[in-house]
Amino acid sequence: MTPHTQSGPPLVQMIDIEKHFGGIRAVNNVSLDLYPGEVVGVLGHNGAGKSCLMRILSGAMMPNEGTIKVNGHSAHIQNPHDAREFGIETIYQTLALADHLNAPANLFLGRELTNRFGDLDDARMMSESERVLRRLNPNFKNLNDPVASLSGGQRQVIAIARAIYFEAKILIMDEPTAALGPSETAMVGELIKQLRTEGIGILLVSHDMHDVFELCDRVVVMNKGRVVGAHHIDQVTKDDVLSLIIKGELPADWSARNLEPQA
Amino acid sequence: MADFDRSDAPASWTFKFSAGSLHKLSALLTLAVLVFAFSFGNDAFFTVNNGLTILLQTSVIGLLGIGLTMVIITGGIDLSVGSVLALSGVVTGLSVKAGIPVAPSMALGVLTGAACGAFNGFVITKMRITPFVATLGMMLIARGVALQLTGAAPISRLGEAFGTLGNGSLFRIVEETGGIFPKVVFPGIPYPVILLAIVAVAAAYLLRRRKTGRHIYATGSNEEAARLSGVLVDRTKICAYTLSGALAGLAGNVLMSRLVTVQPNEGVMYELDAIAAAVIGGASLMGGVGNISGTMIGAFIIGVLRNGLNMAGVSAFIQQIVIGFIVILAVYVDQIRNRR
Repeated sequence: MTPHTQSGPPLVQMIDIEKHFGGIRAVNNVSLDLYPGEVVGVLGHNGAGKSCLMRILSGAMMPNEGTIKVNGHSAHIQNPHDAREFGIETIYQTLALADHLNAPANLFLGRELTNRFGDLDDARMMSESERVLRRLNPNFKNLNDPVASLSGGQRQVIAIARAIYFEAKILIMDEPTAALGPSETAMVGELIKQLRTEGIGILLVSHDMHDVFELCDRVVVMNKGRVVGAHHIDQVTKDDVLSLIIKGELPADWSARNLEPQA
Repeated sequence: MADFDRSDAPASWTFKFSAGSLHKLSALLTLAVLVFAFSFGNDAFFTVNNGLTILLQTSVIGLLGIGLTMVIITGGIDLSVGSVLALSGVVTGLSVKAGIPVAPSMALGVLTGAACGAFNGFVITKMRITPFVATLGMMLIARGVALQLTGAAPISRLGEAFGTLGNGSLFRIVEETGGIFPKVVFPGIPYPVILLAIVAVAAAYLLRRRKTGRHIYATGSNEEAARLSGVLVDRTKICAYTLSGALAGLAGNVLMSRLVTVQPNEGVMYELDAIAAAVIGGASLMGGVGNISGTMIGAFIIGVLRNGLNMAGVSAFIQQIVIGFIVILAVYVDQIRNRR
């Protein structure tokens, strides 16, 4: 994995983000940067605050405190619609699909293609969906069926297609391979690498250490609402990351290891 | 990736019944069986005149059913349409009495219905009251206002123009015979029937071909997903309830015009017939499923049943019982098809 060179301003800056529910501080003074062409793994236990942080960036949730900047400009994101305007696309763990609608209707939901009379252009949505879905899975069929009748993998493919079709600049992927088989997982890995070369910044929420070390340039680890570690992937081992996730701190020997020049 | 065994034919080539069209087919079959059975039992049933009567009788339930279909697809319910129908009629009647011409008065009545619907939508989305409770409240409010405004007394002597919408017809052919009563060759297509057809086509167009319609389905199918996809869920719901209210207003004007009298007590329990029409037509109270053609079939099943049972001399109470069983049967059939 080639080390990532950080150039230019960050794509996204989340600064001093706070979110509390009653007395519980789900996100506690968290800051996070994402640069173009960078894949950042966001790790942590369930309830560590990573999903909450991602939901704030995608507009599904408003923070109590803190600011978000996109390309250096302050971005006031109040709902998912706003986030999309800033080029932020999200693949939700729940996939966020309307079960009774077919694949094209889901892919274009909220951004339907229309003709000059403002009527839905279902033919064009169908052909565009076919193009983007086949790119992700050459065997994708059943475009006319309600997505409720599709397999978990196919549903995941629709959710991914929806995020990449609209030329996202910032992509949030919440457990994108959780429902996928090995070949589809490999395909998503290839896709992430390709999107990175196109200069897209990706936040990858994952539990899969293999994926994280295979795909990410940096990791940000959260524990009890705080960021307990933000490291370049070359600076840490899987054990280091697991220690951060579980104990909220690096192993005692970490700084010693990283001071020594590595042979 | 497990679908290598599928044929390469595009999905549109392979002909198959979707679950929805199967339900519609069974509803259509039921309608045909009813028509056949009633025709067999009574010679006067299967005539042009009675056919037009059924169309006329069904138009009010049809209009209400169209509004309810949109609301039910969003996953909601509107119990207020029967009362809103009465209030709209009262507003129109009072406007006519106040000297406003009939057409603007009726527009005022429809606007009143739309306002009631918009209020429902506001209460449901902004105050987060469940649709059942919100529209139950409106059911009482609208009925109360209608009774208060009129002192519970009917408004009559509204003039001939007021009765045109409900009693007029298109293509009426009359032959002068020289006697007192001219011979009616073709009674004409009643205006309410034409109105129902126009509204049904417009509503089907809205649901199938417009963004708003797509968002109505998406909201009912998975509200959270729709919201995360950038659909303005609240606005979509308010739109559906407003349309339902406006159509209740329109139905109220049609009904009162037919009676040439405004009755603040009209339309009690009509919401249940309208809900039954939508459900018989395949709409799911869970949301995300339903369409206008199904609801029209459902409305006509109820209309034909009422008309046929009336002609057979069956009491109104027995009719209620029969329709109740048919609603339960329709939902049961729907569940069976979903379980497969």
